[in-house]
Amino acid sequence: MIMNLTLYNDKSTWLHQLDPRTKIGGVLLIFVICLCFNHPLFIALILTGVLAIFTTAKSIKVLWKLRFLLVLLFAFSVVLWPFFIKGKTILFQWHGLEVSRESLLYGLAMGLRLMTFVSAGLLLLATTKNEEITNGLIRLGIPYPVAFALATAIRLAPTFADAGATIVQAQVSRGLDLDSKNVFSRFKRFAPLSIPIFISAMRYTNFLAMALESKGFQPDAPRTSYYEPQITGRDWLVLGFLTLTLAVCLYLRLSLHWGIIISGRL
Amino acid sequence: MTSSIIFDRLSFSYQNTPVPALQDICGEMARGSFTMVMGHSGAGKSTLCCAINGLVPCFLRGDYAGMVTVEGMEAGKNSVPDMARTVGIVLQDFEAQLFSTNVELEMAFGLENQCLPRTAMEERISNYLRVVGLEELLRRDTATLSGGQKQRLAIGSVLAMETPVLVMDEPTTDIDPEGRLHILSLIRRLRTRERTLVVTDLDAEAAVHADQIWLLKDGRLAAKGSPTEILTDSSLIESCGIRPLGTIALFQAMNWPGQPLTVEDAATEIENHRLYCPHRQERQAITALASGKVILETRNLSYQYPSGAINALDGIDLTIHEGDFVAMLGQNGSGKTTLAKHFNGLLKPTAGNMLVRGRAVKDYRRHELASEVGYVFQNPDHQIFAPTVREEVAFGPRVLGMDSKTREDNIAEALDATGLSGFEDRNPFLLNRGERQRVAVASILAVKPAVIILDEPTTGLDYAHQRDTMEMLKRLNQLGHTIIVITHAMWIAEAYARRSILMKEGRILLDGPTSTVFSDEAMLAAASLAPSDLIRLRNRLGLAAITLTGMVKELRGVHIEFPFSNQR
Repeated sequence: MIMNLTLYNDKSTWLHQLDPRTKIGGVLLIFVICLCFNHPLFIALILTGVLAIFTTAKSIKVLWKLRFLLVLLFAFSVVLWPFFIKGKTILFQWHGLEVSRESLLYGLAMGLRLMTFVSAGLLLLATTKNEEITNGLIRLGIPYPVAFALATAIRLAPTFADAGATIVQAQVSRGLDLDSKNVFSRFKRFAPLSIPIFISAMRYTNFLAMALESKGFQPDAPRTSYYEPQITGRDWLVLGFLTLTLAVCLYLRLSLHWGIIISGRL
Repeated sequence: MTSSIIFDRLSFSYQNTPVPALQDICGEMARGSFTMVMGHSGAGKSTLCCAINGLVPCFLRGDYAGMVTVEGMEAGKNSVPDMARTVGIVLQDFEAQLFSTNVELEMAFGLENQCLPRTAMEERISNYLRVVGLEELLRRDTATLSGGQKQRLAIGSVLAMETPVLVMDEPTTDIDPEGRLHILSLIRRLRTRERTLVVTDLDAEAAVHADQIWLLKDGRLAAKGSPTEILTDSSLIESCGIRPLGTIALFQAMNWPGQPLTVEDAATEIENHRLYCPHRQERQAITALASGKVILETRNLSYQYPSGAINALDGIDLTIHEGDFVAMLGQNGSGKTTLAKHFNGLLKPTAGNMLVRGRAVKDYRRHELASEVGYVFQNPDHQIFAPTVREEVAFGPRVLGMDSKTREDNIAEALDATGLSGFEDRNPFLLNRGERQRVAVASILAVKPAVIILDEPTTGLDYAHQRDTMEMLKRLNQLGHTIIVITHAMWIAEAYARRSILMKEGRILLDGPTSTVFSDEAMLAAASLAPSDLIRLRNRLGLAAITLTGMVKELRGVHIEFPFSNQR
């Protein structure tokens, strides 16, 4: 199957060369920066910033691969949030449900925030090899088995998605109707897809475990690392810049009360 | 010579299985020797491999008796990671073994576990990538490698650990003929070093260069000896589920003296004993294979994968007639599967047309197409989901809305044709690979499609099961089904297909009667394929027949007509 679902984009930009610890820390900082405001304009600005970094990392196509997911998250958030938030300027009311200008803007902000979260996470995955993530996590003090399991999960997702695609094709070839409108037949088609996917995943992981042990892998034993990232001046610069941005954002929100649509909420 | 691996009355049965996987295995493998372990599927080859590094019984648990000693270490008493310093093993499913981001890191994984410093790792990686011929691909994503390259990487990453013992479980299964040749020549090169090699394979042609062959049958060591001793005994190896060597089979059928293991030896024997005077094969013009109605037709069909930059298929014009038996051949990535997936509408052409019975595929409804063209995927486990064979096979007829009477009849017929009658209430997950393959075929057959496409139907099957599967397809073909087989196994195309289509880089290189296509070794080589030994010998002798019996008849006929060929 020629279907590449891996998110890592093998380039050599400044972002790829950063230490994985910096990137993990940086993504966390972006997450917190996002939480500073709930005005859509402010979050849109942060998202633009993240997208700009994507372009300099020459990885915008990774985002494009997952465009459906991003649009879906955004749409859900924009549609659902307004019903759960109360605002002052009521736009319309219907059987006790009300939608206000503030709640609408808040929903928009949350949609954008979700997109920013996912994009920032993808930024990490698109520019950092799996082994680098493992390495970064270990150096940040996460125990090896946990770091390895996390990185393996990221690694296996595309493999299982690939197996899933093959399984869908195999069952469609037998007449499985995936376009059926009927809810009950939708339920019925769950088994032909989920059981083979589950079984192939079980086989695969069992096999992988055998292969790892056969190559002398022991989770708790000491091992060296082929890839040894170094924190350089550039890493400090990036972390410094993001910390400064966070400080500025906190100041704007807490002292100047900027970027707030509904106060008292994140 | 000192022995490297000693098996002392080893017996093993997996948990919850009544039949032992290995029984009373005794034997030694000398340091620096190359042992080929052969046998039918389920004979215990993989279990034997796993017993060498302790995966059996440390990881795969069960009743273990006896002892395996490897370079003085007792497997089973030491943990698998500890054994890894002595034994490197390339497991059967090489796809699942590769999990690193790129080639370099894959090679480094084992070395990291050995706590090697970075500079030493770099040196080993570049050394061993050169050994396996992947030095150019240092930074490549492992997912983008071809099957043969993946397998060589799997071997290289184990080699780099520089263990004194190297075990490879079926390293040539599941890859195209060219990749296979690469790996066989790699194994021959590895053997010259100070290293004990244990390899399993299903194919006798791979065993010719071994020091000794161990023949397993139902978990027991049926025979042990040099290639000349074992491979010349056709009935013995056939009883162990291995296809006899083509050269030996022909010499025995002809009662010719000599037991040549290779085509070259056979040609020499024939010349020395003046058994037959080879003549140049007449080049047959490839004629159209018109017979019956056209069922599948592509018109200038091209296809590009959404993520791909180049055409996976490029201007394919092809007609397939009802009742034909077609083999689609070519390297991995040549476009065979991509083309076949157009036949039942799984893929839609980017340009050109795909017609089934003269009607464009896009005008068909999904279930209409499913009952015209059935597609059996390579791995039966990608479709099996039901708790019983009956329910599994009933899935197609049920979703296509057949009434219960037709459904029952079709299921019974499908089970009968695949030799699964009596298996109705069995759990398909507990059947062996060959039987699961048959369940997959039966589940397609129950829909009664006019065309049945099979993607690598014999992968992972031993000779006996391969032959059973192909004989079943032959019967189905005689019943009127059009059969299209995508395969890497050349002998299957040679022995069963009437028509062979050779593909390369998304185009059709050659298309014609199998006997003609397989005469053109230059063209086959251009598609990175090579015919089996029997056919290579046939081409050298300039025979027209393509099956063993046909060749024997032809040779005998010649013998009577031109007696001088033997008496001069």
